[in-house]
Amino acid sequence: MRLRWTRGRTDDPGDGASRLRAREWVGCDDAGETIARVVRVHGPLLTNWRLFHAVALDEEARVVELRPSLPGDRWLVVVKDRVVDRAPLAMAAVRRAEAALAAN
Amino acid sequence: MARTPLDRIRNIGITAHIDAGKTTTTERILYYTGKSHRIGEVHEGNTTTDYMEQERERGITITSAAVTAEWKDHRINVIDTPGHIDFNIEVNRSLRVLDGAVFIIEGVAGVQPQSETNWRLADRYNVPRIIFINKLDRTGADFYRAAATLTEKLGINWVTLQLPIGIEDTLKGIVDLVEMKAYIWEGDELGAKYHETPIPDDLKDKAAEYRQILLDTALSVDDAAMEEYFDKGDVDVATLKRCIKRGTIDGTFRPVFCGSAFKNKGVQPLLDGVIDYLPSPVDIPGIKVAAEEGEDEAAERRIIPANVDAPFAGLAFKIVNDKYGNLTFVRVYSGVLKTGDTVLNTTKEGKERVGRMFQMHADKREEIKEVTAGDIAAFVGLKDTGTGDTLASAEDPVVLERMAFPVPVIDISVEPKTKEGVEKMTLGLQKLAGEDPSLRLKTDQETGQTILSGMGELHLEIIIDRLKREYGVDANIGAPQVAYRETITKSHTETYTHKKQSGGSGQYAEVKIVFEPKERNTGIEFVNATAGGSVPKEYIPAVEKGIKVQADTGVLAGFPTVDFKYSLVDGKYHDVDSSALAFEIAAKACFREGMKKAGPVILEPIMDVEVTTPSDHVGDVVGDLNRRRGVIQSQDMASTSVIIRAHVPLKEMFGYISNLRGMTKGRASFSMQFHHYDPVPRNVADEIMKASA
Repeated sequence: MRLRWTRGRTDDPGDGASRLRAREWVGCDDAGETIARVVRVHGPLLTNWRLFHAVALDEEARVVELRPSLPGDRWLVVVKDRVVDRAPLAMAAVRRAEAALAAN
Repeated sequence: MARTPLDRIRNIGITAHIDAGKTTTTERILYYTGKSHRIGEVHEGNTTTDYMEQERERGITITSAAVTAEWKDHRINVIDTPGHIDFNIEVNRSLRVLDGAVFIIEGVAGVQPQSETNWRLADRYNVPRIIFINKLDRTGADFYRAAATLTEKLGINWVTLQLPIGIEDTLKGIVDLVEMKAYIWEGDELGAKYHETPIPDDLKDKAAEYRQILLDTALSVDDAAMEEYFDKGDVDVATLKRCIKRGTIDGTFRPVFCGSAFKNKGVQPLLDGVIDYLPSPVDIPGIKVAAEEGEDEAAERRIIPANVDAPFAGLAFKIVNDKYGNLTFVRVYSGVLKTGDTVLNTTKEGKERVGRMFQMHADKREEIKEVTAGDIAAFVGLKDTGTGDTLASAEDPVVLERMAFPVPVIDISVEPKTKEGVEKMTLGLQKLAGEDPSLRLKTDQETGQTILSGMGELHLEIIIDRLKREYGVDANIGAPQVAYRETITKSHTETYTHKKQSGGSGQYAEVKIVFEPKERNTGIEFVNATAGGSVPKEYIPAVEKGIKVQADTGVLAGFPTVDFKYSLVDGKYHDVDSSALAFEIAAKACFREGMKKAGPVILEPIMDVEVTTPSDHVGDVVGDLNRRRGVIQSQDMASTSVIIRAHVPLKEMFGYISNLRGMTKGRASFSMQFHHYDPVPRNVADEIMKASA
């Protein structure tokens, strides 16, 4: 199933290039309804005196710890609010999201 | 000569493990860019960049030769660098001034130790790089396995832009994954024509799979490009190339090319890759100025960007003395310099007049009247400028970030065979040391002998050979000696009083010093922790000097003492009898007494040794390495060979090559490089101390 993908939330990747990068891509259907998202995992992150190896921010920007943290697989594949897979790169995550939808 | 626009200049290095094909690739580049009308072959000893006699005789690259070439309206300054670890300084200083590098990986063995070392050096200088997997025509070559070693050994994120068509003796071309087409060469000979063709049917699926990986990786650096991809299902070639260039420059991933330079396949697309993906001087931020004395090295510092209209600033990165005189290779970072101009050497705070300037083509040179930002040229007429010095305009006298040089690990004594040779030898060695910062000279205080310290047996052998050929000095050489060091293992506080009264004014000084061990390779640190003027501040430098001088002669066997901290915590002085000399003497004695009680140990250089041997000799090789106090790190299969990696003390590695050849009937090879310093075992320490007594 092909979705229309657009940039979601952005942040500064901290690479010194001072440009905002998408940390989320949102996949919508033809009616414009959000069907899937791919979200970049942050980490390691030190917050409230705890070290999180991998975290994601929820809709309210609260830190959600992810376990297990898989080195390299920095993108979460979220279909209809459920994490269904992970991928090392955003484009691969998008393909996995579409594949997951097609499989349903 | 018309100025080349900055965005059309590429300053690149070619680097790899020994014998991976760097010089052959450079020769092909020169041929295909039209600089060399006939091609040189390493095995025939007539390559353009290996112009020293020793290089041609041995078939290895010793000094880095700067070569300028033109390709598709771009100027490429290529520096061919040695692969042998003994000449690592050449790689080091080249990487420091280059904007990009081509790393050549051997198609059979993949990433080898020297590739790893050079890779880490390039990391240190943030050099953008592309990878060329070479020698795919060789028996046992495997592109995919060689590429996999990039992940295993370098731990990098790489992405291939090409796939080979055929392998070993059937290698005939490459698939270009950026434009999704194939190139087939019509022969193996030099200058063989190649033509564009559709991707062969048997490679179509694989090409599609790897192009998807390329798109996933490359477009990840640019959200707009990803959006374009999501909209159209693909991106145009220009967008893809732009993303690859961005990812290459910021180090997000490393593009991989492939071919066989020797069989003349893949060199032209590699040159296209240099133009397309490696940065011009304006694509990178520029060079940092050096930290001020006492300033934190990690602190934010001013950056000098490439700009022709700014005041002149350049870095001398290589000195060569040849029959024409003293040539200083300079990388120009900003401004313009003309023949006859005077500049400041801001490192040494002197003035230099530039007599003549040349664009270098290995051993040939073309005189130029000016040099501009972004370019590399050789200057004649500089008197006091050494490697790593900054040359700058008086308008903006900046000092650029300095170079780091490796520590020599091996010593030999050298003395001329005749009395007449003494002066010539001193002059020759001083000039050679001026060219090569990894070569150190010193005089043994006890024997009066000249001691040469270098990076390995081959390094020193070449120096002695050059001394004979270039300066006409025949010299007697001592056996190579390991450059041991001494250090301490525990803290100790020592108080020493120097008191002398023999008529007239006396000498009086008392120092209390805490000696503490430090991490390896962190050097010597001094802290003045005195309070209340117990040691007047005019005597503090004398204490520091005393320790510094005495540290050159360790308490166990007279080797330099390294990696310790000493804090002057207290002391006493006398209004009349105290002097700087008295405090220096007291500090020296305090060091001698204190170090003995601080758990002194002798350190020896441990080498990272890699032996490639046919599998039927593995047992012999491993047993032999164990006998040499080696610790095996890994054993890996590679085609029909086994690669054994071990940490072995340098002392045990002298003359190893002949032993290895004997053991394996000449079928094994090895390389080694300095890894770290470790304390020697007790029995070895006893032997060393006995020998030095």
